[in-house]
Amino acid sequence: MRAEITSLMGLEVYTQQGVFVGRVDDALLDPEKGVLSGLALGSINRDLFNQKSRGVIIPYRWIMAIGDIVLMRHLKKHGKDTKRK
Amino acid sequence: MYSIFASELAGKEIVNVSGTVLGEVENMIFDTKTGAVLDLVIKPDPEAPRGRFRTEGKFMLIPFAAVMAVKDYIVVDENRSVPAPPAE
Repeated sequence: MRAEITSLMGLEVYTQQGVFVGRVDDALLDPEKGVLSGLALGSINRDLFNQKSRGVIIPYRWIMAIGDIVLMRHLKKHGKDTKRK
Repeated sequence: MYSIFASELAGKEIVNVSGTVLGEVENMIFDTKTGAVLDLVIKPDPEAPRGRFRTEGKFMLIPFAAVMAVKDYIVVDENRSVPAPPAE
């Protein structure tokens, strides 16, 4: 489906198990391949990422669907520092 | 691999291979399934040549296949522009 990149901004990101991950702040682009390589998330769920950083970047290949929300694969371990959830 | 934030691209100027400024980046169209960037949505410079790019309202669509380089400017080659794949 064709979509404008600005329509992504602010969308809420959930995992396929319904866990809130964050909000899309920006998209990361690989200009050589001409693809989006990741999404930068802000307002992140501190239960998933218990780090001090302002946001996280998730690889685009984790994304399953984009519509009214963004749906991504559920991963038990997000990054190094995760709490059990 | 180097990457760039989409927000950094907004407002960047587009030049063609002969050095003419065509306009500035307004938005980008991508495929939600694959993440492939299909088109750049350009706010055309009023004096810029229309070239062979498609227009959509007051915006110009440049297929990403025509993009040669992205740095301080975005360089496009009009001769490389192949038609964007049809929308699903």
